[in-house]
This record gives sequence, structure tokens and C-alpha cells, in this order.
Amino acid sequence: MNAVGTFRAATPIAVDAAGWHLPDRTRAVAELPELADLPEADRRTCLNLGIDTVLVDDELTAGDLAEHAARAALERAGLAAGELGALIVVEPRAPETLISSDATRLQHALGATEATTFTVGGLGCVSVAPALLAARGLLAADPGLRHALVVHGSKPAGRGRYRHPVTVNGDSGQALLLSRPGEVPAPVRVLDLVQRTNGAYWDLFGLDYRDRPTAQWREECRDLPGYSFRLAMETRRRLSALVDELLARNGRTRGDIAGWASQNLSAGGLAFTEETLDVKLLPSCRENLRGYGHLGPNDIFLNLWTALDRRDLAEGDLAVLVNVSPVAAWSVLLVEMGPRGRGPSQGGNA
Amino acid sequence: MSHGSEPIADAAPGAGAEQITEEITGFLTDALRRPIGPDDDYFELGLVDSLFALELVTYVEQRFALTVEVEDLDLDSFRTAHRLTEFVRRKTGADAGRRTHVGDH
Repeated sequence: MNAVGTFRAATPIAVDAAGWHLPDRTRAVAELPELADLPEADRRTCLNLGIDTVLVDDELTAGDLAEHAARAALERAGLAAGELGALIVVEPRAPETLISSDATRLQHALGATEATTFTVGGLGCVSVAPALLAARGLLAADPGLRHALVVHGSKPAGRGRYRHPVTVNGDSGQALLLSRPGEVPAPVRVLDLVQRTNGAYWDLFGLDYRDRPTAQWREECRDLPGYSFRLAMETRRRLSALVDELLARNGRTRGDIAGWASQNLSAGGLAFTEETLDVKLLPSCRENLRGYGHLGPNDIFLNLWTALDRRDLAEGDLAVLVNVSPVAAWSVLLVEMGPRGRGPSQGGNA
Repeated sequence: MSHGSEPIADAAPGAGAEQITEEITGFLTDALRRPIGPDDDYFELGLVDSLFALELVTYVEQRFALTVEVEDLDLDSFRTAHRLTEFVRRKTGADAGRRTHVGDH
């Protein structure tokens, strides 16, 4: 199905290649060390999230994960890092050092000497949306810029992986190679995206790190009822409105959408999205949630590519990717499938 | 998850608070799989996650044929069955109905 029509408001971007670094080691959630220190009710909540194992590589930093993924995407596309016009790093949850630059570290490691390089973030797992917006803007504004690489290494900020009562974080790297749609059809095209935030929730979750050893770092929610009720109800309203806006401005209806994917927080979170939007999410969401845990901004495209890999989506299909972050931020993406690309199980370290 | 059958909004102005509270405690007891009394604060008890919050609000909207607006999202209105009863009666005009019924015609 071709989404080009009179209603489309946005300039599409092509995802020419995607690369991942998914560690080959996993850790059972039931064996997470931090569970021993949790009250019984919290421990039960963690074990009932629908996550059996999380991806773990204790040897790699978030920057390393990003670098591995970037190399995988470039290799898949047959593109040299020196040909990148832009390198956009989605910020890690915690920098390795303050003051220094995670973005230019990656630029240096890859040899992306000509790339306009910077970091975006501030929106948790929704931060992939502003990265795509920035890439789209650069590609639209600068005719000389041909390729932009959006990269993220996802790793929990502290040693603990459980964020009560939300999710368990895994490790992963992801890179999306973006360009203007050309004669060669891309595996995926991002037709449009809508992103909104509500700053009233800016500190709903936080991690106090100053003057604390990393072993004591905890991701904490300052208002659990607020998270479970107020933000949930605002999300219900926001998501429905955002999807309606996204589809309407692209001249589409829900009936045109072949697949829905979201970020992976918990089985309850996936059910929440399904009930809120009255849709069924692609099976890849629960599959990746169960085996990998929450991979932050990497979830939605990993779920999309896994669905392609499983042949749950076909060329010409439209999909909507939903992302929600408790900062609070919401984004919805309308994407169109091109010829079948290589999914995470078909190459690289995935 | 579905609880109850037909919306009772039409009956709500005339429905007693006790009937509404009974409906709500029935829903809560089923949904949370444990007995919930009219004054049990299930938020304070840590029994509420986002999915349950969604189910609770959806239940209240459908069962009592009302719409929970953004300005209604005061957690204190949803903490206990008794408080929810007050909220339902307020939204459906049951309280006002009793006060203003005389002279309506």
C-alpha cells in the first residue's frame, strides 16, 4: 500500500539499514541480585512483568554497544563511516564520564570524520523520536547530506536492572541508517511521526547519584499512585489522540494499519497499550519483552524488524510504532514496509 | 475484563449509594482477586498498576455511563469504593438530583 497522497504532511525518511548488537548472554530475572533486597510484594511485581530473561554484557559500556551496532548497520549497507553526513547519538541513560562527549567518542571510534555529530535525548525511550526528527530535518534541509546514522547503546544507569514497578532493563545497541527515499526502495520508510511531552512528570522517576557509590544507585518513582493512575490515564487520552492525529494527517484510518508495535516495558504495559488503542500488538513485542527485557529507545524498531523477520509484515504494509516514557513523553510513528530487509536474527551479533 | 452488564446510569440518580458501592466493591474484588471493603485504599495497598487503573476507569465509564474527563483525574476520587461512589453520584447528578428535584417541573 503506498502512503503517498494528498493528506501526507511530512517528508518521509528511508531506513536503509538497521544494525543491532544484542549480547549473546542473558540473565534470568529470577536470579537478579537486587531481588534479594526487595520487599516480597515488589519482588512479586518484578517476577510478574512478563520478562523471563534480559540481555546482559557486563563487559561493554553503552558506548561500546552503540559502536558495535553502528558498525553492523554500516557493514550491512556497505557504507564507509567517512560517508556519513550526520551521526546522531541517542544519549545513554548515564554517561561514562561527565563533561566529555559520548557523541564525538563514537564519531572518533567509527571514523565518521565528515559527519555532523551531536546527541539528542531527555525523553527516555521516546528519545529515538527526536533523533528521527533531527535526521529528517537535516536530510530535508541539506541536499548535500545523504546519510544519517541514529545510534543508541542501551544499558541501565546503575548495577540494578529492575525499575520498580515498571520493567527490567537489558543491554543492547541499535543503529538506523537513514536517507531520503530514492530509487532503491528501503526496507522501511518512516512516513511521519508525532511527539508530545508533558513536563509536569519530569521527575516522576529519578536516580540520585551525587555522592553515592554506583552500587547504591536505584531508579526510583517518587509517586507510585501518580504513575499508576494519573500518568496512565493521561497516556490513555494522549495515545488515542496522537494516533488519530497521525493517521488523519496522512489520510489513513486504523483499518489501513497492518501491524502495531510498542516499546517493551511489561506484559501489563503491552496489554495497557492494546486496551487503550483497541488494537493487537505484533507478537514480536511480547517475544522480545520475554527474552530481552526493556531495551529503551531500541525497542520499537527491534520489534518492527523482528516482525519483518517473522514475516508478520510484508512489503507495502503500514505499521504504527508507539512509544511512551514516564518523563512524560509520547510518540507515534507511521512506517511503511519495503522489500524485506535483514532482521535481527539474520546477521551481525543479533 | 468485563464486569456487570447493562450501564446503570439511568438508574444512578435514583440508585442508592449502597447499591453503587456494592457494584464497585464487586468489581474490585473480582479484578484484584481479593476481598476489597468499601473503605480499603487499594492504591495505598499497592494493588494498582497502570493496566488496572485503565480497567477501573473504563469500568466506571461503561457501568455508570459517564465520561471521566481530564479534570476528573483526582486520585482521591478513585482511592476507595466509597469515594468512587461519591464520584459516580456527583457525575451522574444523583446528589444534585435529590437537592434540586423539587421545582424541576
